[in-house]
Amino acid sequence: MRESFSIWWFAGVLLLAYGVVILSTGLWELGHPLPNPPVLSNLHAPIWWGALLTIAGLGYTIGFRPRQTVNKRRK
Amino acid sequence: MVTTLALAVSTQLARLNWIDILVIAIYFVIVIFIGFYLRGSSNTSEEFFMAGREMTAWIAGLSFVSANLGSLELMGWAGSTYQYGILAMHWYWIGAIPAMLFLGIVMMPFYYISKTHSVPGYLKLRYGDGARALSAVSFAFMTILMSGINMYSMAIVMKVVLGWDLNFSIWVSSVTVAVYVALGGLKSAIYNEILQFLLIWAGALLVPILGLIEVGGWTNLRQQIATNLGRSDYVHLWSTLGHFSANPMGVNWFGIVFGLGFVVSFGYWTTDFLVVQRVLSADSIRSARMAPVIGAAFKMAVPFIVILPGLIALSVLPFKLVAQDVAVKTGQHSFNEVLPLMLVRYCGPGLLGLGVTALIAGFMSGMAGNVSAFSTVWTYDIYGAFLNKKATDRHYVAMGRWSTLIGVLVSVGTAYLVQHAASIMDYVQQLFSFFIAPLFGTVILGMLWKRATKEAGFWGLLAGTATSISLWLWVQHDPHALRYVALSPDAKDMAENVYRALWAWLVCVVVTVVVSYMTKPRPVAELEGLVYGASVLPKEHDDHWYQRPIVWAGTVAVVFIFLNIIFW
Repeated sequence: MRESFSIWWFAGVLLLAYGVVILSTGLWELGHPLPNPPVLSNLHAPIWWGALLTIAGLGYTIGFRPRQTVNKRRK
Repeated sequence: MVTTLALAVSTQLARLNWIDILVIAIYFVIVIFIGFYLRGSSNTSEEFFMAGREMTAWIAGLSFVSANLGSLELMGWAGSTYQYGILAMHWYWIGAIPAMLFLGIVMMPFYYISKTHSVPGYLKLRYGDGARALSAVSFAFMTILMSGINMYSMAIVMKVVLGWDLNFSIWVSSVTVAVYVALGGLKSAIYNEILQFLLIWAGALLVPILGLIEVGGWTNLRQQIATNLGRSDYVHLWSTLGHFSANPMGVNWFGIVFGLGFVVSFGYWTTDFLVVQRVLSADSIRSARMAPVIGAAFKMAVPFIVILPGLIALSVLPFKLVAQDVAVKTGQHSFNEVLPLMLVRYCGPGLLGLGVTALIAGFMSGMAGNVSAFSTVWTYDIYGAFLNKKATDRHYVAMGRWSTLIGVLVSVGTAYLVQHAASIMDYVQQLFSFFIAPLFGTVILGMLWKRATKEAGFWGLLAGTATSISLWLWVQHDPHALRYVALSPDAKDMAENVYRALWAWLVCVVVTVVVSYMTKPRPVAELEGLVYGASVLPKEHDDHWYQRPIVWAGTVAVVFIFLNIIFW
């Protein structure tokens, strides 16, 4: 059996899911500051890191989405 | 290292909220899904044990480096960096890169064209059943024990960092690994190793980035470490290795270059089936040669997320980390908690969950790697070779699935066993290293020297292993013996490991050569596809010069040399 889902598609889904969760958390924290913020929380790492993961995840999820074509070498 | 983790009793470092739990849950769901998804493509032994030999160079390469990138490794070396400084980087650079490139360029063609399923399988083809049996039994035994130790270490970390119950961590992780490896075989393990590799970077990369911002860059970091410690030898890679007493690790350049960089590193990266199995799953000889080169390029970058956090901790943490035995008595944090401490320092909700997921993924992946390698060696090199030679392919696949499950159960038993005998874990790790250094001597002579004989392969391996164990017992019995093993009264534990490996390898090679000249060699015609000079390697057709593995290996080698000079 040939898999229709590439490993890179799974990687994209995982990164996308994490990106969305972390980006959302970062945005929520803008209006609801943490009682014990981590060091350098003023840099809002969850927002830009979450955005980066979302973009990477989207790229891989779309680029390696399951297709009907045969003889694809991607796994 | 494991022992020290096992003894950790410090208070809980962090508390996860529901977002962190969600991040961890997403990982478990995807891992289990992949196992069920790949179940249908693991029906033959070639599919189950070798992933159908259809992995691309990138997948095999990332899996190759990821199988070694367990969280025990990450946290252990981050702790060692805090303890010994930048010298820990040697285990990622000279202790890995040359060997990985050598595997890809020189050794992989022989492994690949011999169509062996395992390293013991290669020994069978080259030396016969004696060397195969010795190597298979020792590998299977040690692999399954290491799997249990990995599991227990993960449970300990989860207890220290998050306050999780040991039983919960052990059973959840082991059942998950058992399900996805037993269902999808090596392919499932490889797929999850790719995800783990990405997760580790996604979860850990923020620590050095934010850390460097906090300290004001690399130059400031070096100055602050020198000021805090009152010494400058923590940030030099080579300039302090002139003598054992000139650096915090108590080792010298000869031990690092020849013990670590040659014997230990080449032994691990070219003959440990746990990592070699990933490359054997490649879809062509070109992919098999490129995979270690790709792996080497990424391995070179790993110190950024392991070594750098340890160095940053030396600068920014407001308290001192201590040795584990001191931490147990005083309630302070130990060296081994440096990576979780830095995660907690910079990561809030969500990001902390991602970091913890990366650690869990690392442990599970390390365990899955051990279990899948055990399953293969057990089925092909012990069960199929000596116990049931004529079974059907379907029977061997079933045996592979069952041995995976049984391997996990034995690992769980080991995990509980080491709770009551912490020092056993260190001993087992030492035992594991006993077999790797001499095995490299046996394999490399077998590949490069036509004259090496069947009897020499067995006796050389046995003599090398016996030497390693004897030297270890000698130092255990009389710690002053270290000055003879490592050739210096100033030598410390790390020096013992690398010099013991060097002696074991030397004895293995000398015995193999001597016994070879005393026994009858095999006809050259029988060595076709197994030995350099007796094999015609298939020609590789690359459309462009820049597609050749040797070009990329050269590029990685140049960067490797350049980096060593920068951090001299």
